[in-house]
Amino acid sequence: MQSADAIGGNVYDKPKMNYLTNGSTLKSWLLTKDHKRIALMYLISVSAFFMMGGLYAAAIRLELLTPNSDLMESGTYNKAFTQHGVLMIFFFLIPSIPAVLGNFLLPIMIGAKDLALPRINLLSLYFYWIGGGLALFALMQGGVDTGWTFYTPYSTTFSNTFVMAVGLGIFINGFSSILTGLNFIVTVHTMRAPGMTWFRLPLFVWAQYATSLVMILGTPVIAITILLLAIERVAHVGIFDPAIGGDPILFQHLFWFYSHPAVYIMILPGMGVISELISNFSRKKIFGYEFIAFSSIAIAVFGFLVWGHHMFVSGQSIYAGLVFSFLTMVVAVPSAIKMFNWTATLYKGSVSFDTPMLYAIGFMGLFLIGGLTGLFLGSIGLTVHLTDTYFVVAHFHYVMVGGQVIAYLGGIHYWWPKMTGKMYSEFWGKISAMLVFIGFNLTFFPQFILGYQGMPRRYASYPAELQVLNIFSTAGASVLGVGLVMPVVYMVHSLFYGKPAGDNPWMLPGLEWRTASPPPTENFEKMPVVTWEAYEFGEENGLDLEEAKRRDLAVVS
Amino acid sequence: MSAHASDKFVYHEPGLQHQFDDMKQQEESVSIGMWMFLVQEIMFFGGLFTAYLVFRSRYPMAFAAGSNHLDAFWGGLNTLVLIVSSLTMALTVYYAQKSNRSMQVIMIVLTMIFGAAFLGVKAIEYTAKYNDGLIPVAGLNKKVKEDPGAHHEKAKPCWEVEHGAAAAEHHVVNPRGEFLWTDCSLVKLAKDEAFLTDAEKIGYFSKDASGADVIDINKFRDKVKIFYYIYFVMTGLHALHMIVGLLLMSWLLWTAWKGNYHAEYYMPVEMSGLYWHFVDIVWIFLFPLLYLLGRHFHH
Amino acid sequence: MADRHPEHEHMEHDHMNIPKYLGIFMILVVGTILTYFAATVDLDFIFPGANTLLALLIAFTKMAFVMLFFMHVYWSPKLIWLSAIASFFWLAIMFAYTMQDYFTRGSGVFTG
Repeated sequence: MQSADAIGGNVYDKPKMNYLTNGSTLKSWLLTKDHKRIALMYLISVSAFFMMGGLYAAAIRLELLTPNSDLMESGTYNKAFTQHGVLMIFFFLIPSIPAVLGNFLLPIMIGAKDLALPRINLLSLYFYWIGGGLALFALMQGGVDTGWTFYTPYSTTFSNTFVMAVGLGIFINGFSSILTGLNFIVTVHTMRAPGMTWFRLPLFVWAQYATSLVMILGTPVIAITILLLAIERVAHVGIFDPAIGGDPILFQHLFWFYSHPAVYIMILPGMGVISELISNFSRKKIFGYEFIAFSSIAIAVFGFLVWGHHMFVSGQSIYAGLVFSFLTMVVAVPSAIKMFNWTATLYKGSVSFDTPMLYAIGFMGLFLIGGLTGLFLGSIGLTVHLTDTYFVVAHFHYVMVGGQVIAYLGGIHYWWPKMTGKMYSEFWGKISAMLVFIGFNLTFFPQFILGYQGMPRRYASYPAELQVLNIFSTAGASVLGVGLVMPVVYMVHSLFYGKPAGDNPWMLPGLEWRTASPPPTENFEKMPVVTWEAYEFGEENGLDLEEAKRRDLAVVS
Repeated sequence: MSAHASDKFVYHEPGLQHQFDDMKQQEESVSIGMWMFLVQEIMFFGGLFTAYLVFRSRYPMAFAAGSNHLDAFWGGLNTLVLIVSSLTMALTVYYAQKSNRSMQVIMIVLTMIFGAAFLGVKAIEYTAKYNDGLIPVAGLNKKVKEDPGAHHEKAKPCWEVEHGAAAAEHHVVNPRGEFLWTDCSLVKLAKDEAFLTDAEKIGYFSKDASGADVIDINKFRDKVKIFYYIYFVMTGLHALHMIVGLLLMSWLLWTAWKGNYHAEYYMPVEMSGLYWHFVDIVWIFLFPLLYLLGRHFHH
Repeated sequence: MADRHPEHEHMEHDHMNIPKYLGIFMILVVGTILTYFAATVDLDFIFPGANTLLALLIAFTKMAFVMLFFMHVYWSPKLIWLSAIASFFWLAIMFAYTMQDYFTRGSGVFTG
């Protein structure tokens, strides 16, 4: 693998073989233990699920173009929003950044040859495929209409749709998530390169670590909950049916014990990506590294203490509501710490507005709105008015799409040259980033107003006076749709016709930029020895290639 | 570790995977990974324990009544059986560390025998529940047809039924194999001593013609059914873990037989041991929480 | 490179011997028998639920012995200790925050 003249080595020499060319048979992909290949397979699968979920979203927005339920009847509409939610949450949002970007980058960023447990990693991909396959099977059979939350007793007793298959899919997919988290934790603990101390880790790794904690501690609870739901549905006996002394609120407790922290599984990795983007495209060491790192851990921990804010009007005791409401305010603090630190990083940085940075800045604005409206909904008094309205829908789309999806897109654009060795069209990249931003706001901002005016979620029809804002929203959705499809086109195009990106197209100091693009199978020609802090740019507030090379020579030899 | 730069000259120990630098790193990774797996297992059972906690605090008498009909002798015996198997498992690791192949094999076989014994006892218990009509799923119990020649006692009120006696012992017909429960003596006791919870005051009673509260055996039966549901899910999942453990042990037996494990390499033995002990720990909690509730009411 | 495995301690073999293993085993057996007989004695005169508390205390003690000595946690790196403790801490979170709802239902403190 080493080039002959690499003694004392120039790491920028192209390796003879990279992870893409190292084996081209189907078997070499399906049985690979290479984290980068697994990440690519995840990328393709996750994108497919995203598109399917997007189609359901389009159907929902089309239906809501008019006040009457004319495009589809209510039952069909129920299935559309349920399947939109299930596909997007369980099969796109949760695996997206950890399983794609995390899988690809985490070992490279800490200077390891692979994840610590590569076979477990492959197993998690297969769990994902099996779980996703079951969900798709259910969709083709006729779908499911319970809402993505599967509230009992509707899901156990009354719904006559394919709850079991989807539930089983989510159950199995949960183990994919657990195994990924397990792998990341082990890897961060044992596989760091010499010199890569905890406080030299890129913040993306910290965020992945915090996410993994949530995955390990939370996901098993949804697994057992869904198992109980399934038994209840099949055997007609259980603990969630109030008709026989059971307790539907218990289902909500168990469900949200996972599903609220799952929100942080979705957003924490996004925050990690944004930390990378903000610092690197400002060419400035991130402000308050330790605070951002520990706020990730704090979010992971506090995230487990607030689940009751999904149940304010469910019949939960008012005392519990107060406690959960207060703790919800507390969990806003670490998120705010991150926002302040990112802003402070931008201050006096030499900011360049490349495509990934456009996404990052978009994220900051949208996540701010998403986060602050979360405080509205966390206030126990106000939320009684806003529960189950479009205000909630707008809030979580601002966090999930405005936050996580945009961070994911930013991350994909940012690391695309590393993953493929090719550069996409910057022009089209910027256009699509703008379209996504504009389309997104046009789609979801009117929904805040709709919700405030009392339009309830999950109905196919609505009063005629709300139509104007709904038309705005649907129009925005089509812009958003175009913005989201464009990257698929120009990125696939770049695979064949894109310029070679070079090893370090953005001139950055991170470890992933010190290996070839695409990286060789074992990531580095030689094990790197880390002697620098994270985000350490040169004195001129910029890192030129000569300096990077010089430093690498000094370090590696 | 430092030898990375000259990878091709490094002697790779057998069993060392490519992503690791040395055995120490591999052992550490595997061990942390196994512990993370156990953490998720704890949370997995934790959901069930939460459900248990909620319903036990709500319907303590129904739980006590249901628990009193579990056989504490078999449960206690199974606890001892599992503890012995834990000891033999720990000794397996010990002998692997001492590179003693034949003792390893003997200890693994013993562990498997005790593990199988545990499942056997479990099967005996489940069969008894089947015969007594205590499986909470309608149709899965023994179907008892009405015997036209049988002598019919006058039906006693449920609080006068002898406590702890199974429904089947009163020759109750159960043609469709449903969940049966005829005894509410504990509710009577609790009502007389005035320690029913608020939920129980609603959950076990219905109004008679005069508007007074009388114990409703059907409502009480549903609460006992919840106990048995939790009992079967918990012990069932535990038994499933035992079966997985036995499969693991079979593999371990095969590899130990081949002499794979010795003082320098015994990670698989130790990891299997962690799993086995974890399953044991779950049972240590299940035994008092399921079998021994409210025993003191009758002593 | 010194910081690569900060938490690693060499896996020692010689902490336990057969008499010690048998001693732990005897403690576990005694604990089991004790659990059974403790359940048959009415402890409600101390406070309601004292039986359950005692049973759980014995169970936790037994668990501690199994974890510390059979699972070798006693000689394990801090991370193992941490993960064992953290998992029970998270269980406690799940129990406590679920039950704070159930125990305050209709208590009248905030209703009215």
